[in-house]
Amino acid sequence: MEKVAAAGGMPDTRAVAVRRRFVKDFLTNKYLYIMMIPVIAYYAVFHYAPMYGAIIAFKDYTPIKGVLDSKWVGLEHFSSFFGSYYFWRILKNTLIISLYSLLFEFPAPIILAIIINEVRNKVFKKTVQLITYMPYFISMIVIAGMIKDFTKSDGIITMLLTYFGGENTAMLQHPQLFRPIYIVSEIWQKIGWESIIYLAALMGIDQEQYEAARMDGAGRFKQIWYVTLPGILPTITILFILRMGNMLNVGFEKIILLYNPMIYETADVISSFVYRKGLLEFGWSYSAAVGLFNSVVNLMLLIAANWISRRVNSHSLW
Amino acid sequence: MKQRRRMITTVVSILILSIAMLGCASNSNTNKEGAGNLQASPETTEAAGTDMSSYPMKTDKKLTYWAEYITVKPTIGEVPFFQEWQKRTGVPVEFISPPAGQEKEGLNVLLASGDLPDLIEYDWFSFPGGPEKAISDGYILRLNDYIDKYAPNYKKYLQEHPEVDKLVKTDNGSYYTFPFLRGDPLLQVYQGPIVRKDMLDELGLAIPETMDDYYNVLKALKGKGLASPLSITGLSGFSYGAFVGAYGTNRGWYQQDGKVMFGPMQPGYKDFLETMSKWYAEGLIDKNMATIDGKALDANITSGATGVTIGNAGGGIGKWLPVLRESNPNAVLAPAPYPVLNKGETPMFGQKDFVYTTYDNVAISATSKNIELAVRLLDWGYSEEGHMFHNFGQEGLSYEMVDGYPKYTDLLMNNPEQLPPAQAMKLYIRGNSGGPFVQDKRYIEQYLALPEQQEAIKIWANTDVDKYTLGLITPTSEESSEMAKIMNDVNTLIDEMTLKIILGTEKIDAYDKYMEKLKSLKIDRAIEIQQAASDRFNNR
Repeated sequence: MEKVAAAGGMPDTRAVAVRRRFVKDFLTNKYLYIMMIPVIAYYAVFHYAPMYGAIIAFKDYTPIKGVLDSKWVGLEHFSSFFGSYYFWRILKNTLIISLYSLLFEFPAPIILAIIINEVRNKVFKKTVQLITYMPYFISMIVIAGMIKDFTKSDGIITMLLTYFGGENTAMLQHPQLFRPIYIVSEIWQKIGWESIIYLAALMGIDQEQYEAARMDGAGRFKQIWYVTLPGILPTITILFILRMGNMLNVGFEKIILLYNPMIYETADVISSFVYRKGLLEFGWSYSAAVGLFNSVVNLMLLIAANWISRRVNSHSLW
Repeated sequence: MKQRRRMITTVVSILILSIAMLGCASNSNTNKEGAGNLQASPETTEAAGTDMSSYPMKTDKKLTYWAEYITVKPTIGEVPFFQEWQKRTGVPVEFISPPAGQEKEGLNVLLASGDLPDLIEYDWFSFPGGPEKAISDGYILRLNDYIDKYAPNYKKYLQEHPEVDKLVKTDNGSYYTFPFLRGDPLLQVYQGPIVRKDMLDELGLAIPETMDDYYNVLKALKGKGLASPLSITGLSGFSYGAFVGAYGTNRGWYQQDGKVMFGPMQPGYKDFLETMSKWYAEGLIDKNMATIDGKALDANITSGATGVTIGNAGGGIGKWLPVLRESNPNAVLAPAPYPVLNKGETPMFGQKDFVYTTYDNVAISATSKNIELAVRLLDWGYSEEGHMFHNFGQEGLSYEMVDGYPKYTDLLMNNPEQLPPAQAMKLYIRGNSGGPFVQDKRYIEQYLALPEQQEAIKIWANTDVDKYTLGLITPTSEESSEMAKIMNDVNTLIDEMTLKIILGTEKIDAYDKYMEKLKSLKIDRAIEIQQAASDRFNNR
């Protein structure tokens, strides 16, 4: 406290004081600093240094000339992306698919975790967990193959739906069915895996709180509502905010494995569109421009979500 | 206090780091330059120790060769063909391969790395921006002077075949690769309509020729209880103009009397869509048409659910017939001609490769230090000895001379390790995979062992496609990036329209609405570009 006061009081000796403080701080914490170096180096080398490469979004990049010597083209790649006939459609599809997964896929593992938590039978609990994890470890190509197989005209799911009065054709030929198929399969793939983190958070809730709640006459649902949910709310919030930072990155492998021209109208997203274009020409700069656009929008969404969350429930990333 | 200290810590760490990074950056720069100098100096001074006057040449240099070549061996270097190739030419070669199935991405990474091998086997014709751009960007070498000086065999072939010469160079007259060339028209055709002849015989129907014939056949097959009488893999089944061709148009670009046309814009395309949507509505086309892939098609055919398809002689008839016969010894897959509208007409379109197939041709990188050696290595493929070696392999091992005819041995055709011929061949010859040589007709005569297959390529070859094809035209590099931009949107629109109308989600009247949209996608500009490129091609 003294030093702060001293530094504030005498402006001309301030620089000296600051320098002295740096040295002192460095000496006292020198091992901490040394331990930090690898971590910071990792981020600097692999995450920050490559960022200068993002300037190729404004250039006509060819590897032979390198990043610095390639020709500047300004916003040409951006305008060609925004000016594409299909820009609004792919943006809309991307956002809708993201929004749907946020609405339906995001809560699913939370619900599963709470249900598993309520189950008392250990064996049953482990079995459920094991079965729900499994799909996560299957390769995407196999998953897509299975989905295609199940939803073709004589696939098992189509047959089931036909039984209830659906139409007997390949479901992936109907634009209106693509989003449900995508989201449902997404839930099936990820529900078990993503519930792990919530289960871990649930472990951390003090059992005494439940006891107290029971004393106050709270039933199962009241306990979930007043003890369990608030207990894992910070985890939910953080994961939600992180999720917002990925809004425009819809998993494109799955989409290009599932879609076909018949359902472009709902299934074509930014990444799949760029992929098709990338196949036509080695569009390094173009892809970089689209990537940069995605990142900027994602960052804004992330910051917004974080800000709102801090206002609303005082949990936030920073 | 505590917080302040933490901040200081952060600031200091970042400082340390940026200093370290600066150090790294300048280090790597100097390293690179140093390495470059080191490499450059000995090359320029030392050229002796080599004798390139005859094969096998003598050299102490080693060439690097990038290619995707998938066989049962884990690396290219272990493939007997390439081992013997190095021995006969006398040039030691080190091979580099991209991950299987990722040739395009692999090349992308290779080019981005800036560190290029001496030889790169790739589809250089389809390089974004065209081969001329690959040269001007500094990836590959313009070969004209080197061919004159070091490639007598290839040069002789081009002089003897001026029509091929026109295909393998750019508008500016640049040669850019050592190409894979089809030595006979029969080698250029491999795909067309295939029907279940035994079923037709049962129904008392002849092999279909006209669209009406096809309709009747499909209708009869449907009546016989087949679930999907006509089955093709999505839109790619129409790629070469099967069914579309009957209406005097095509799925892509073609030319008529020197005028470039975009197929889907021609009135015939609407008629084609109308017919197909009628067939689909009547259940004649597979219900899963949009999602069907090669695997699903195989299942349809081998289970007998499909009676008509578009397929290859080798990978179609050759693959399906043995499986079909296991359960049904009477099954016959016969080729049918590409459908026409009126009896007696010659089909306008059909699958037919150019003599120069564009894939699997070999370019020499612009940074290569051993140009003469590389050119002479590749030129060997066009010599008499190289021709035999590439097509038939080693005498006594992979072929025997029987009455002057190079006959493949059992090592290829009836492999002791149970490899199918296609895979066994890849180990000992390049006849079935392309490369820098001229393919020999005697390869296909033996590879297509079934009489149906031999008949197929003869029937499918009977089209007028040569008259209407656009040739291997090359837009300039600016044009081609503009073209790619336009065509990305256009292809999306056309594919969507085609499938939607065929599957009946949209009525045929929607065609006109799509054509208006097509105009707003600047299709006219694309036609203009293609026309200019085509004119340049014809003036070569």
